[in-house]
Amino acid sequence: MSVEGTVRSRLHADYVGVTWPRWLTVARNALVLALLVLLAVTTIAPFVIMLVVSVQRNMVAIIFPLPIDPRGFSLDNFTTLFRQTKVLRWLLNSMYVTSVGTCSTVLTSSLAAYAFARGEFIGKNVIFVLLMAILMVPESARIVPIYIILSRLGLVNTYWALIGPWFASAFGTFLLRQYYLGIPRDYDDAALIDGAGTFRIYWSVLLPQLGPALATLTIIRFMAQWNEFLYPMIVTSKADMRTLTVGLGTVVRAGGPDAGLTMAGAAMGFIPTFIIFMIGQRYIIQGVALSGLKG
Amino acid sequence: MGETLLAPRATHVRGAEFKKRLLQSLKWYPYILVNLIILLIFSVSAWVFMLYLSVHRWDLLGERKFIWFANFSRLANDRIFGIALKNTLQYLLLYTPALSVFSLLIAILMNGAFKGTKILRSAYFLPNVTSIAVLAMIFWRLLSPRPDGPINYLIGLVGIPPQDWLVSVVLALPSLVGVAVWQEFGYFMVIWLAGLQGVPSELYDAASVDGASGWRTHWYITIPLLRPTAAFVLIITTMHALQVFGSIFVMTGGGPVYATTTLVYYLYSQAFNFGKMGYSSAISIVLFAMILAVSIVQGKVLKFDVGLY
Repeated sequence: MSVEGTVRSRLHADYVGVTWPRWLTVARNALVLALLVLLAVTTIAPFVIMLVVSVQRNMVAIIFPLPIDPRGFSLDNFTTLFRQTKVLRWLLNSMYVTSVGTCSTVLTSSLAAYAFARGEFIGKNVIFVLLMAILMVPESARIVPIYIILSRLGLVNTYWALIGPWFASAFGTFLLRQYYLGIPRDYDDAALIDGAGTFRIYWSVLLPQLGPALATLTIIRFMAQWNEFLYPMIVTSKADMRTLTVGLGTVVRAGGPDAGLTMAGAAMGFIPTFIIFMIGQRYIIQGVALSGLKG
Repeated sequence: MGETLLAPRATHVRGAEFKKRLLQSLKWYPYILVNLIILLIFSVSAWVFMLYLSVHRWDLLGERKFIWFANFSRLANDRIFGIALKNTLQYLLLYTPALSVFSLLIAILMNGAFKGTKILRSAYFLPNVTSIAVLAMIFWRLLSPRPDGPINYLIGLVGIPPQDWLVSVVLALPSLVGVAVWQEFGYFMVIWLAGLQGVPSELYDAASVDGASGWRTHWYITIPLLRPTAAFVLIITTMHALQVFGSIFVMTGGGPVYATTTLVYYLYSQAFNFGKMGYSSAISIVLFAMILAVSIVQGKVLKFDVGLY
């Protein structure tokens, strides 16, 4: 797709109105493109190396040039990983925790955002500012009290603890509120005349119009929760309760005598997010662009 | 946002009118209930408890002992806390400028002729959606100190002698910064691109009439107009820098000899390796003060108007 699109689209030098000889512009753009492609190679190569090494038998260390031996191809590393660690259990844990967390976040954010966008209630502005100010400071500074509170409540090593902070989201509330504010109030008024109540307006009138915003929020939260490391590590200690990233980061870890085994572990962590990214990248990138846009 | 936050609206409402408003309000509270509960458990009570812990000595099993501000005065004399503070600032000073400038540069290049190249954008974004635990496992191998390790081999091609990277006291922290920049530049490039696309093209035409060209237009037009985006990027990168943990935990474990022990790593190890809950809370408060300072700047600059991610 890219190369043709590149030539056809407006060249940057034209854009800023510089009158350069045509060949110079083309040469300059070729150079820029080469640089950008090289950069893309550096972001993809580590994953390619990981995948290649993960299916090699007896690879003690990764050295360059990579000694790839087609006869050494095997899935032994993956079977060893499945046999010696609880990687399958971690995968299922991650899937469960992330799905529940993401669904509830989307639900609670859309509800709260609706109240903040349309409702009139005492303390609305104060609560909104508090929510933004406090919830946006992430866990790392307060892991100790959170850990102690959860352990006093007997919630360490439970799914409740893993999902807890993900039941609601300041980011999601903020994002969806922006979308609600963009929907004309005429819709609410029309529904009100038809006899719809507050919840009915939320559920049948406004929520269906939030489609892309909900998709964006879903995928961003899914990725964020899936990849989280410090918090799930603190609130779990049993191997059975680890999430995939924490299990890989604490049990498989970076070192170890067998590079192939470590890379198989890394690949196990990489593949699920890669699939989700491939499916939903439009929404992820759109959401990221949106979060910085209003500055 | 349209309306002023914290408007003194409730001041004149009294008696019957207040009752009416309260009744009207009641139907809205269920909508924000879960948000409030999560806020209460994971933020408000956690902060209060942290303040309480920071003036106590407690190892989780024994008695809690009230010790006034002894934890804080101990911090002042703790050499390793000083190192952790220095490392955190050093990380911040390397990471924030490197990441912001590099991602802006790529965004400017992408915004020119290659706006349509979605495949490049996806490639740049890929590390960002991958877990740091996975990236750390890969880069621990790539940054191997062996002369035939991947990165050492590549720099050898341009004549640089092999380095010790993660096991070097000097290079360990910059190596972590390098991995982080590699991971996150795609994210910030997308944010810069969104900002760049908001710059009206007439301004470039006007500049070219006035004889400005190339990088001069960027210096005088693009960059000033990107100030709000720049504020956002700087604040978010600063927050990230202050909280770096995963890469350290998996790749270096805070070493070699405390070279990569940051505040978060130090408070983690004090609490969960040595069981010093009170002392760790005191460190948390220092970290919190730093984050709070950034948040206040963020609130001032951005008026809570941008994504809070």
